[in-house]
Amino acid sequence: MLYVVLFFLLFSLLLYVMLGGADFGAGIVELFASKNNRANTRDIIYKVIGPVWEANHIWLIILLVILWVAFPVYFNIIVIYLHIPLTLVLLGITIRGVAFVFRHYDAVVDKSQFWYNWLFRIGSFMTPIFLGLSFSALINGKIILIEDHPSASFYDIFIQPWFNVFGLLTGLFYASLCAFLAATLLIGESEGKSKQHFSKSSATFTVVLVVVGFILLTYGYSFEIKFIQDFIVNPLALASVALSGILLIPLWKFIKQQRKIASRYLAGIQVILILFAAIVTHFPYFIITSNEEISILENIAPESTINNLGWMLIIGGSIILPGLFHLMKSFKMIKILEKS
Amino acid sequence: MENLDYARLQMAFTLGFHIIFACIGMVMPFFMVVSHYKYLKTRNPIYKKLTMAWLKGVAIFFVTGAVSGTALSFELGMLWPGFMKHAGPIIGMPFSLEGAAFFVEAIALGFYLYGWNKLPEKFHWFTGVIIGVAGVASGILVVSANGWMNAPSGFDYVNGEFTNIDPVKALLNPAWFTQALHMTLAAFVATSFGVAGIHAYQIYKNRNVDLHLKAFKITIIIGTIAAFLQPISGDISAKDVAKRQPAKLAALEAHYETQKGAPLYIGGIVDQENQKVSHKIAIPKALSFLAFGDFDAEVKGLNDFPEDERPPVAIVHYAFQIMVGLGVALMLAGIIYLISIKKKSWLQCKYYWLIFVIMAPMGFLAIEAGWVVTEVGRQPWIIHQVMKTKDAVTPVPGMKYSFFFYLVLYSILAITVTWLMQRQIRSLNQKID
Ligand code: HDD
Ligand code: HEM
Ligand code: HEM
Repeated sequence: MLYVVLFFLLFSLLLYVMLGGADFGAGIVELFASKNNRANTRDIIYKVIGPVWEANHIWLIILLVILWVAFPVYFNIIVIYLHIPLTLVLLGITIRGVAFVFRHYDAVVDKSQFWYNWLFRIGSFMTPIFLGLSFSALINGKIILIEDHPSASFYDIFIQPWFNVFGLLTGLFYASLCAFLAATLLIGESEGKSKQHFSKSSATFTVVLVVVGFILLTYGYSFEIKFIQDFIVNPLALASVALSGILLIPLWKFIKQQRKIASRYLAGIQVILILFAAIVTHFPYFIITSNEEISILENIAPESTINNLGWMLIIGGSIILPGLFHLMKSFKMIKILEKS
Repeated sequence: MENLDYARLQMAFTLGFHIIFACIGMVMPFFMVVSHYKYLKTRNPIYKKLTMAWLKGVAIFFVTGAVSGTALSFELGMLWPGFMKHAGPIIGMPFSLEGAAFFVEAIALGFYLYGWNKLPEKFHWFTGVIIGVAGVASGILVVSANGWMNAPSGFDYVNGEFTNIDPVKALLNPAWFTQALHMTLAAFVATSFGVAGIHAYQIYKNRNVDLHLKAFKITIIIGTIAAFLQPISGDISAKDVAKRQPAKLAALEAHYETQKGAPLYIGGIVDQENQKVSHKIAIPKALSFLAFGDFDAEVKGLNDFPEDERPPVAIVHYAFQIMVGLGVALMLAGIIYLISIKKKSWLQCKYYWLIFVIMAPMGFLAIEAGWVVTEVGRQPWIIHQVMKTKDAVTPVPGMKYSFFFYLVLYSILAITVTWLMQRQIRSLNQKID
């Protein structure tokens, strides 16, 4: 059962990174769109992301619940040492979430739209950055567990693990991944000029993604971030990153040929490959602190809890996944049977 | 104040904020589908307009409930890591089921919001029903987790270790049913009177009476039924508390001395230092009867508990009085509505409508008061008789700033949502074209 739970943990992580990411990315694409394109982008985002908006973010809650129920040691480290960046993530989630709904459901359309729009865009940009910062803190070996170092300062314990260049690069990397996903998703739903616009931003964000990814690896390697050093010598991880790079070529072909579903699947596969690379590098030691590597498989919840959770996830998943699939299908997110 | 105090304040404030949106998110969908149903039956465009207006309300409240709920799922760990580390694996079941319920709710909401003229009419309506049912289910599940904090079960506690964990037993802890029943009713009472009051105000101001009268009727009927059931369920809750948390019962009744045939105090000013209650009305033997169903039963007083296991008395007692007082007032308002069904002339009277305007926030006040009773009454325990709150708090310093951060953020949010609602109503009053 432990592996069922672990599967759902990684599965919801993947879906949050991908679906939540596409959501954040939509705001980023809007943020960086030229003035003329913004209004149009806004409408397309509403059409494409609106119906699944809520659902995309519940993956985060599922992820969190699995962590706290089954992997309390991990959860504890995350909530104690990442208190500050997580609070900022929550701020981002809050403002972009409410701004998105306010701008579409306000009964009166007037100047306040200006504020909703900007809050949505800025929130969409800051959330993945701080998510990236938080994630980087778990793997960069800078967390100092308090019991070991009663003399360390507030800065050492609660700020320095995430507040650094490596963290910022990770944040930017995730933000550009989000934007890349969103642009690829939006191309399929647009026509004529806006299609060109999204193709262009998809291309831009692909380039940004590759460049930031490269800097991230170089920086991590030269500043002896253990995770990156292990990453670079892990053949499986390298192979999947390389494969994901190669897949950019067919992705571009599909986009040109307007095969929007195929291009979405391909972009999804690329994200899976990147995530797989990150996971396989250090499995099961996902948290690397200043003096130890902590396995996710140790100090887990008692067996009865794991079994119970596993069954809940299986049952819940078999109710939810078909519903979600149906929702996406109804609103033409994943499969278009005919052109209408 | 210490870190611990700010952590508590933050927990109380954010939960108190979330609960309002959660209740509305649970109950509004039911109003919406009733109005929608009437539209499908009568094809009266007024009902369509009302449904759409309520729908926009649901969307706005839903998102605010969702983001504050997401923040809470983090906060539970960020503020109380000591609690979550041990309790997480035990009360995981309600939370994982709740996750599933949220998901169902969000999927149904997606269908409902975007399904107009796209989905078959009946199926579309039905997805609205699912929003409500899933919302209530998630409410019940969280409250079950809270019930576990009041009545911990499903594990053995030996030498500071939690062993023999049985998640199902923890979910079905002795407090879950009474608390969930009382809470669900409370959500219906508060939201119904809240929405009814808003529409009553529009009628009072003589704006678009046709529509607001329909809205008022739908909500007040539901509210009245729930308001009558509420005190019954409250009585069950009180008997439950008497059995499982005698210190809490003593605090909420401001009952210091152990006594047979204990009197019930109504009102009263608590003097915590001298352990006296002044300016009260005492009803002889009523407390014994209400708590144990026997006029001569012995009710344990606070003085029989060790000093460091007594909850703050004054807050709990006042909060309890406020809740019960408002409960009675809401029931009376329900009676006034029932009489007005026969006495149509009342509907012409401005004061009739004013009563419901005044009652609008009362249900929510009662909910906040009720939670203060439950949570502060459980102090100093975070898990009753197992773990103290001070042992669970986060080691991160500076919770003061965190508290003020949420205070500012949520105050702005609350103001914005109120302002948005005003705009909704104003546009509702524009004549149907
Ligand atoms: C509209 C709101 C509302 C109204 C009118 C009432 N209550 Fe209440 N009460 C709640 C809303 C609430 C609540 C917010 O929902 C609580 C907090 C925790 C819970 O489960 O329900 C609660 C808790 C609560 C508790 C503590 C339960 C516990 O700690 O486990 C008792 C003893 C009562 N109530 C009793 C009553 C009585 C005798 C009422 C008589 C009229 C009453 N309540 C009206
Ligand atoms: C939404 C309604 C709720 C409100 C308004 C509320 C209110 C409060 C208040 C006033 C406190 C502070 C008590 C004190 O410091 O004296 C508190 C504490 C707490 N509540 Fe609640 N509560 C609610 C529901 C819940 C639920 C459903 C849970 C758990 C599943 C929960 C978990 C906690 C925890 C962990 C604490 C901190 C420990 C403590 O001070 O006891 N609460 N809450
Ligand atoms: C008694 C207290 C509570 C009740 C009755 C309650 C009920 C609800 C309901 C009905 C919703 C659906 C949102 C809506 O329709 O507006 C909701 C949202 C949410 N609640 Fe609460 N809740 C309570 C306390 C908590 C606590 C303590 C937590 C965290 C541990 C929490 C976590 C969440 C989350 C994560 C969501 C968002 C789900 C979504 O995206 O739809 N809630 N809550």
